[in-house]
Amino acid sequence: MTSAISLENITKTFWQEPRKNGDSSEGRRGVHVLKGISLEIARGEFMALQGTSGSGKSTLLQIIGLLDRATSGSYRLLGHDAQGLDDDAQSDLRNQALGFIFQSFYLIPYATALENVVLPGLYSHTPRSELRRRAAELLERVGLGDRMDFRPAGLSGGQQQRVAMARALLNEPDIILADEPTGQLDSRTSREIMALFQDVNESGKTIVLVTHDEEVARVAQRTVHLADGKIV
Amino acid sequence: MFTVFSSIHSMAFEAVWAYKLRSFFVVLGVALGIASLTLIIMSVDGANRKAMEIVEMFGPDAAFVLGGNFKKRAAGMRTLTLSHEDATRIRQSLPGAYLVVPMRAQVGRTVKYRNKNYQDVFIVGATENYGQVWNWPLVEGRDIRPEDEQAGARVALVGDKPARELFGEESPVGKIIFIKDIPFQVVGRLAHRGGAGGGDPNNRIIIPLSTLTRRFNMDRKYFRALRVKFYEPEYMDAHIENLRLLLRHLHKLKPEEDDDFTILTADEVLKFLSVFKGGLTIFLGVTATIAMLVGGFVLANLFTISVSERCEEIGLKRALGAHRSAIMFQFLMEASLLTLLGGFLGLALGYGLGKFLSRLDILTIQFSWKVFGMAMFSSLAVGLVFGLKPARHAAGLDPIRALKGEG
Repeated sequence: MTSAISLENITKTFWQEPRKNGDSSEGRRGVHVLKGISLEIARGEFMALQGTSGSGKSTLLQIIGLLDRATSGSYRLLGHDAQGLDDDAQSDLRNQALGFIFQSFYLIPYATALENVVLPGLYSHTPRSELRRRAAELLERVGLGDRMDFRPAGLSGGQQQRVAMARALLNEPDIILADEPTGQLDSRTSREIMALFQDVNESGKTIVLVTHDEEVARVAQRTVHLADGKIV
Repeated sequence: MFTVFSSIHSMAFEAVWAYKLRSFFVVLGVALGIASLTLIIMSVDGANRKAMEIVEMFGPDAAFVLGGNFKKRAAGMRTLTLSHEDATRIRQSLPGAYLVVPMRAQVGRTVKYRNKNYQDVFIVGATENYGQVWNWPLVEGRDIRPEDEQAGARVALVGDKPARELFGEESPVGKIIFIKDIPFQVVGRLAHRGGAGGGDPNNRIIIPLSTLTRRFNMDRKYFRALRVKFYEPEYMDAHIENLRLLLRHLHKLKPEEDDDFTILTADEVLKFLSVFKGGLTIFLGVTATIAMLVGGFVLANLFTISVSERCEEIGLKRALGAHRSAIMFQFLMEASLLTLLGGFLGLALGYGLGKFLSRLDILTIQFSWKVFGMAMFSSLAVGLVFGLKPARHAAGLDPIRALKGEG
């Protein structure tokens, strides 16, 4: 029970289809996005993945988040052999063990803040009243107790990201994965959001956060730099 | 499972509501299809019911002779061609015929009992045994007897409608009613008979034919219709041919001349009804199929657009742990929600239209749970069949690419 996430020699290659104008000698060309990543992330750790655009940091986060599969290598997530799981089992792990926070929030526009937070619970066989109670509690916790019935359009960027954080926490996952969570926010709002991340980390959650922003990365306990598909 | 189901269900509803205009077109298409379908089933059922009633009312052993040729309908042709002479001759010399009853009627008479008035009654003249001739049982009293007819007696057999209106729960038998200020004694009451469109058959009073012609100043020589009943209904065709030849002979028609009368049997009426039914089924069936297909394609089209527009939502739900099956279920749910809504509207529309047409006496309709079931089943089927492809597409999307909006 040491590592939450354990990556060993992970590679990812994207294959481009050959052009169809008859020049078949070229064949399929592979773009090697990740070139052998080995990484241990302990339970309760707050880790930042830093790198320039195209360094492979987002792809790595997607592999960690079971949204994509590595081309080779082994990946253990909370003791599960994540590479060998089928689609449904991966979905269940995403639902139960992982919480996602994205750069562009991804809230459902026609649902209220509360309904958005409840969303992951709809796939986890939890009674709806319990979900609503928990969602209300979480919105309270991220400081949006008075905005529960607002739709995303009626909320500021910072507030939308808070809703997304409450949503990520709904099923009490062990790990929070965040991809440039402050990328669309001004610096003051960014600091508020990062304080919230710190708070979540202190409550025992493991956090993996992708960013290119030094200031944001500084909040983490450890920063791993990625360049050209390798850890540097 | 139920919580997941109900949650996804209510989310499906929210999504449907969020895309109102698109949903509206799907609902409209399906509604028109279902409306036609409802109308078909109801009118075919109605026609079947009417057919059964006609056979029952007619009796398989009876023929109905009308003056004038309805099939040719030559201009200026006399319709009053059946005379009492004809009736007597048929009674005397047509083999196999055991009942020959001329029929005359008066419409829109007012009937009085004490201080009560009841308007617009159909007064039918009959010779004898009206109930037996029309397979119409009596609930109390007696039928018109031959001596009533001979004496031109002022006796009456009342139908269910005037009996209720004038006497309520009271028994009408033995009471005196007034038709055109002429007193009649009620001798019997007919059982209630289901309506078959085009007026309530219960709204009638039967009096002896001789009384009708004498008291109401009607033409004594001719009458409009003649009812003949035969022994051995299995030889109906032969009976009818005999009757036709006899009438041609009595009317002194030359071989090249058309009949100046029309003979109807239950079979004949059924044939006509089935042709009518077939035509109706084809016409409305084609309409229904086209409308449903249009609705279905609109659905498939709009849902394909919907899936690509809502890529992000799908990717997000997958990221949050929705199985592929849950995504598929969600879209099928949305699709069937819309088509079921269309089904309900179509059912109401078809029913309303059917009611309207039956009020205008164009159609007889019959509503049943079968109609409801068929309408709901077909609308659900349209939703599931045409929603399947976009739903499968949605379920098969790669979460990451979907999140980036690359359907």
